[in-house]
Amino acid sequence: MTNENKEKQGKLRWGELITVWLVLTILTVTGSLTIIPHLMPRAASSTMHLNILTVVVFSVTAAPVGSFVYAIAAYGLRNWRAGSGDEPPADGPPLRGNNVVTIVWIVVSTFLCVFLLVWGLAALSSDSSAAANSTFKVDVTGQQWLWTFHYPGTSVTTESLYLPEGKTVTFEVTSLDVVHGFWIEQMGVKIDANPGEVTTISVTPDKLGTFDVRCTEFCGLYHAFMTTQVHVVTPTKYHAWLQAQQA
Amino acid sequence: MTITSPPAATPLTPGEASAGGGLMRRLNLLTGLGGGVGLALVGFLLTHFLLDSSGSYFSDRVTTLTFIGWDVGFLLGIGAFNGPINWARGRDLSDDDALFLAGKDQGKSRYWRYCTDHKVVGVQYLIMTMVILFAGGALAMLIRLELTTPNGDLFNAETYNSFFGMHGILMVAGLIVAVTGPFGNFIMPIMLGARDMAFPRLNALSFWLLVAAAGPLLAVFAIGGISDGWSTYAPLSIQDHIGMDAMAVGVVTFIASTTVAGVNIIATFITMRTKGMTLERLPIFPWGVMISSAIGLFAMPFFAAGMLLLLCDRTLGTTFYLAFGGGSDWLWENLFWLMGHPEVYVILLPGVGAVLEIATVFARKPLFGHKVVIGGMTGIAFLSVIVWAHHMFTTGWAPALNGPFMLTTELISIPTGVIILSLIGTLWRGHIWMRLPMVWVFGVIWNFIIGGITGIYLSDVPVDNQMHGTMFVVAHFHYVLVGSVLFGAIAALTFWFPKVTGRFIDEKMGRIAFWLMFLGVQITFLSMFAAGLAGMPRRVAGYAKALTDSNLISTFGGFVMMAGMLVELYLIVICWRRGKPAGPNPWHAKTLDWQTPTPVPLENFLVTPVVTSDPYGYGESTTPVTETTNTTKKGL
Repeated sequence: MTNENKEKQGKLRWGELITVWLVLTILTVTGSLTIIPHLMPRAASSTMHLNILTVVVFSVTAAPVGSFVYAIAAYGLRNWRAGSGDEPPADGPPLRGNNVVTIVWIVVSTFLCVFLLVWGLAALSSDSSAAANSTFKVDVTGQQWLWTFHYPGTSVTTESLYLPEGKTVTFEVTSLDVVHGFWIEQMGVKIDANPGEVTTISVTPDKLGTFDVRCTEFCGLYHAFMTTQVHVVTPTKYHAWLQAQQA
Repeated sequence: MTITSPPAATPLTPGEASAGGGLMRRLNLLTGLGGGVGLALVGFLLTHFLLDSSGSYFSDRVTTLTFIGWDVGFLLGIGAFNGPINWARGRDLSDDDALFLAGKDQGKSRYWRYCTDHKVVGVQYLIMTMVILFAGGALAMLIRLELTTPNGDLFNAETYNSFFGMHGILMVAGLIVAVTGPFGNFIMPIMLGARDMAFPRLNALSFWLLVAAAGPLLAVFAIGGISDGWSTYAPLSIQDHIGMDAMAVGVVTFIASTTVAGVNIIATFITMRTKGMTLERLPIFPWGVMISSAIGLFAMPFFAAGMLLLLCDRTLGTTFYLAFGGGSDWLWENLFWLMGHPEVYVILLPGVGAVLEIATVFARKPLFGHKVVIGGMTGIAFLSVIVWAHHMFTTGWAPALNGPFMLTTELISIPTGVIILSLIGTLWRGHIWMRLPMVWVFGVIWNFIIGGITGIYLSDVPVDNQMHGTMFVVAHFHYVLVGSVLFGAIAALTFWFPKVTGRFIDEKMGRIAFWLMFLGVQITFLSMFAAGLAGMPRRVAGYAKALTDSNLISTFGGFVMMAGMLVELYLIVICWRRGKPAGPNPWHAKTLDWQTPTPVPLENFLVTPVVTSDPYGYGESTTPVTETTNTTKKGL
């Protein structure tokens, strides 16, 4: 190894390392803020808004952590490479560990963990408080490979779902045969339909339009095509629709 | 074969010694296959005529008993029960028999036999792992072909569903053994300074149980496939055709294999270390393998139990998983994920151990925070068994437990982070020798960060409410299983290839394979993250038209990966035969495996090593091994 190389390896250029870290962080943060909301379905409920926000927040939090590791790897590839020949380079410095670094690393990752946990618990409780206010129920039944919706208190049973905008609905979900997964893609609602059990989940649709129901637990031959629509309409239209169905 | 007593202590007359030896020495893979097919036929006919009132050749009972017959017949035919049969007759194997079992002077034919030499078992595992992974990889290509278009028009639904179910179980089984099987067996005992595993015959048993398990698992294709995904959620799996019975027998056999192997590895780790090989001096790779085996011993039996109950539901009319009979599908889900999540760490830790080992050699530096990493791995082991219900956030099983399981799952990122710290700490200011194994290690760093961090997203209940059951999950665990574990396994193979075969894997072509694999993984799975974020469920043959582009990109990336794997396979075959010859310690490493001659002789060491320091003394003036001459070995 030449003297110049030794010199290069001996000194750490903190400026370069930190610059790489910052550039990578900025790139990943920008990517998280722009690409993720663009890719995810347009939100049709506050639950979904929160889900998208959570994915973005996690990405922004993770960006400096991942970038830190990448920066060191990239810096190492650039500055610590010492050949790829038949003979190994001279031994590196015998660093067997560093208590300060280890403790800082563990404290920081614990802190990040606690932040993510608090965020998740807060999101959970805001979801369940919405559910507590709900009096409007719809029975959802999965079977191979069909969804049916029954509106309690009426004789109405349909294969696509109608919901009034702005009213919290609680789905009581069950299955006639195998496990299905009831998912309204744009509302962040997902709960399994289990045979012999009733599971519940609540959501407040806040956008008019047509949205997608998919099955998210593999349920056999035509699982991929066990889809239907949710029509979110104004409360007036909803009541008119319900009347018409009963007539 | 371990040497525990001198020859004089064997109280057998020559006549007795040969009595057990005659038949035993004629057994090999062919007699195993013969025995397996024979007893399978017996099972088939017996159950068909005696047990099955419906008269169908293809009922659940007939299939189950047929494959149990295969298992028993195969093991009998290969000679797995020779020891017990001899004991039952009041005899033990003679020294000659033991040496024969260890494959002494048998050349290549020992690879086709019930051989107790841990190095033979390691090579057998290596070949078997590659067979399983390539079968799974071919299925992955068929899945990607179907997903090129949104309509689900290439294969019929049943065939396609079978593809991803079989892809899943084969890949999981293959990856569980991918590092532990070949290198846990070949390398780990040498690293400990042992002459073989603690229980060499159990070692052979664990491998041949894996071959036995491969029988029914591969037969699933021939008898109609499985339409349940590899997680085989009941009650769907109770509805399924007879392929499910074969899979259940295969899985139970496979778990018998991992359990036998796990017990053996832990016993070897504890009892077979050479003089001076204290736990603090032990390299990190054996730690990874041992902790992985310990997690497996806890986790895998849940899957076997679940599968046995499933077989009862399918063949005996019980209702463990059926709501109408008082059962619950949540029972299956709990049993399955009690295996399913710890299993991820069973797969991960040996690979991590190998990657850290390689990093020290090619950064020419001691392992950063040796004890901290061991602590991290132990922390992972304990946490891994209390996180399973994060797979069940959206099942409705126990909503009140979602918070606690979110906590435990997020906590596991702390010990995992410690391992990352050790990896980059080892590279820190190293003199990086950029040989082929190190190239793969850098690939692992890149992929593991992406795979690990997206795992933390999924631990969060609100995110999981959107992402559960979508391609986002699939992309996440492929970044871990392919991008980290398979890359780690290939790094390990490239690193230990000179010890196993005496030859190098070609650096130039190896880099081509690396770049194809690396770019293939990024293209396939980054695009799959996008499809998942956009709402594509997993395990579907068709999808919304808007997702066509991302799927097309994933399919393209999949074929780039396939090209990479084919180059890698070609390289392994070619370099095994004609690669550049390597000396006994081509990487100038300090662990004991590199202090033996290549090819490694029977019983590994010419003189028993005595260890005076750990193997990470790079840049320090310690001698890691002092060799002594007072050995008590024989048979060489």
